[in-house]
Amino acid sequence: MTAVNLMLVVIILALLAYALLAGADFGGGAWDLLAGTGKAKDGAEDQRKLISASLGPVWEANHVWLIFVIVCTFSAFPAAFGDIATSLELPLALALVGIVLRGAAYVYRAYGEGASLPDQWWSRIFACASVLTPFMLGVSGAALATGKLRPGTSPLVPFQSPFTVLAGLLAVVVTAFLAAVYLCYDAAQQPDTHHLVAVFRRKAIGAAVASGLVVLVMLPFFYHDAPVVAHRFTDRSLPLAAFSALCGFGSLAVLWRQRFLLARVTAAAAVVGVLGGWAVAQYPDLLVGRYTAQQAAAAPSSLDAMVVAMVAGMAVVIPSFFYLLRVFTAPVLEEH
Amino acid sequence: MSGVDAARIETAFSLSFHILFAVFGVGMPWLLLYTEGRWLKTGDASWYALTRKWARVGAVLFAIGAVSGTVLSFEFGLLWPTFMATYGGAIGLLFTLEAFAFFLEAIFMGLYLYGWKRLTPRAHWLTLWPIAISGTLSTLFIVFANSWMNDPVGIGVSHGRITADPLAIFRSSAGWSEVTHMFVAAMMCTGGAVAAVYACGMLRGRRDRYHRLGLNVGLWTVLGLTPVQMFLGDWSARVVATTQPLKLASMEGVYQTGTHVPLTIGGFYDQHTHKMILGIPVPDGLSMLLGYSPNTKVTGLDTTTVADTPPVAVVHLAFDSMVGCGMLVFAIAGLAALTWWQRRRKGLSPRIPHTKFWLWAAILTGPASAVAMLGGWEVTEGGRQPWIVYGRMLVADAASKSGGLGWSVVVTILIYVGLAVALLLILRKLATGAPPELAAADGEDEPKPVAPQAEEVLA
Repeated sequence: MTAVNLMLVVIILALLAYALLAGADFGGGAWDLLAGTGKAKDGAEDQRKLISASLGPVWEANHVWLIFVIVCTFSAFPAAFGDIATSLELPLALALVGIVLRGAAYVYRAYGEGASLPDQWWSRIFACASVLTPFMLGVSGAALATGKLRPGTSPLVPFQSPFTVLAGLLAVVVTAFLAAVYLCYDAAQQPDTHHLVAVFRRKAIGAAVASGLVVLVMLPFFYHDAPVVAHRFTDRSLPLAAFSALCGFGSLAVLWRQRFLLARVTAAAAVVGVLGGWAVAQYPDLLVGRYTAQQAAAAPSSLDAMVVAMVAGMAVVIPSFFYLLRVFTAPVLEEH
Repeated sequence: MSGVDAARIETAFSLSFHILFAVFGVGMPWLLLYTEGRWLKTGDASWYALTRKWARVGAVLFAIGAVSGTVLSFEFGLLWPTFMATYGGAIGLLFTLEAFAFFLEAIFMGLYLYGWKRLTPRAHWLTLWPIAISGTLSTLFIVFANSWMNDPVGIGVSHGRITADPLAIFRSSAGWSEVTHMFVAAMMCTGGAVAAVYACGMLRGRRDRYHRLGLNVGLWTVLGLTPVQMFLGDWSARVVATTQPLKLASMEGVYQTGTHVPLTIGGFYDQHTHKMILGIPVPDGLSMLLGYSPNTKVTGLDTTTVADTPPVAVVHLAFDSMVGCGMLVFAIAGLAALTWWQRRRKGLSPRIPHTKFWLWAAILTGPASAVAMLGGWEVTEGGRQPWIVYGRMLVADAASKSGGLGWSVVVTILIYVGLAVALLLILRKLATGAPPELAAADGEDEPKPVAPQAEEVLA
């Protein structure tokens, strides 16, 4: 495999990690926003507490995957990076607003004790930003496939097709689905949160159905607005799409039977299928009609150095990451 | 506002905001290693209380540093697309390494902040090491990338694309002088801020052991590092004189190239007459500093065109703020050392008396270190103008041509100012003095071993 393709694989894997891990965090924010509505109104504060506790130790590490995607893109494909960033100026800037407000609101609520704004305000900001960011990132990703992006075009171009807007919506619904599935398992672990299992199970099933519906509505627009990528999608990505659909239905069945750990796996696999399918269909283009990966790549010697750094870095980071996950799934020791 | 101006304002603003908080991400873990280590060794409840408090403060500052850092990585593309398209691959390795360092920091930060109940005390203390080391490595990688923009060494071309030899980057003396100067600045800012907070508390009458220990850790960090910083600053100036002579000329407002160049303290540079107004000249000073001889030749701004001249008035002012604040802290350190030595000889305790004078001196070290650090950055960045990569690419050519940047500047400033105000309110609330269970130890200098209280996970 060439260094160019290797870097593409690294970027896609990091993007998948971001979608699954930070995606679940963002979805947690969405459920925080909706906790006070519907039948589960009484348990709203319990839900928010569970969401907050499950985010605490991991959200910052999960968030780094995005930085990693950005850094790898500009290091490995510098020629395309500037064009991608400027033509996606508006959605990316709004995603950034979401990222900044979300992170700040989370720590201000956790540590602020209402010193600046009342906790509920930070809660709302945190929750709204959690919906804004995946929406904007979904729009950005889909806009890359349309082939309509050029530097110097209107900043509104990324929003001007139903396909990109629906992709943003899909990103929001999928993160909500991941979060609900994730929280089902978390809630089942402790007796004092057990009453939330039913709530999040209902939410997970609802979000799964909603994701499927959005995908169905999106498909015709996909062919209309991003024909190049859409045709490759039905051609070479078909196995991945089928796998994703299968795992989506599988998730529903598994959730129904209350096998929550397995549900996490099938939910993640469904998302990997969709995103992986898109990545395969997008290949070899970065910005359709303007740059292929090969055209945008950095000098070979820079890429080689990057690949070496990647191997060495991952050898340190991945075990640490699993250690983090292991510590926070193990039973609690006495506080000291 | 032109696109370049907007891009420059937004970058300057978001970079300063990020640096101001990121320095705590570098400094706090090293201080925590000390305080938590002392607690593990002595079981002293005051050390425990300090550690818990600083961990909370560190968590908030770290999160703000992290999100504002994310903004910067996007801004490279949003504001400087041409720079990234040309040199992104060349400095990419440094940013990739930095991403890994940051990753490690975030992972262990999660373990440290939320691991009080889940790790043994010793394992918990050990998680600080990866945080402190990767925070320091982050400084190293990022500042090396900046120093490469100032002194682009090891540039090559391969298959029509610009490359930078990664090994050559790490051999550049500009890199090492900048990195060490910045790391010590980060430690001094952290120490100064801590000293200022506890000195404020003591001025308000909270003269317990908890405050004394907090003050000591902060004060000794900032005062102890000042002499090191003076040496590193002197080294940096020498490196700048060889790699970027015009930057050095701007720092000192030197127009005429020649020997016997004076060192000017204070004053303003007049861009039209090329003269320093109201400055105090030290005869032959600059020549002596750079070459240890009055006959050392100093390159002046007359060697270049107006278009290639950095904004001298701004750079000189920034340089004087840095040196002025640095000297202030250095003077306090000198006086503190003298007092400490005299009182030690007389057997007096505490070695530095907690008088109003000394507490105010401690408070001063906080803002002075921060102003010096930001002034130093303005010297680095302003003195490089009009280049984004020195001698190779102009800032004006690197910027985005987008028309929407004006809005982006306004929104960035509004959000950041809002977040900074909220943060200050929160930090003020966190500065509530010693926890109540320590109140009994008030006034004694003996450690009071109290069994640590169980607290909330987030406490």
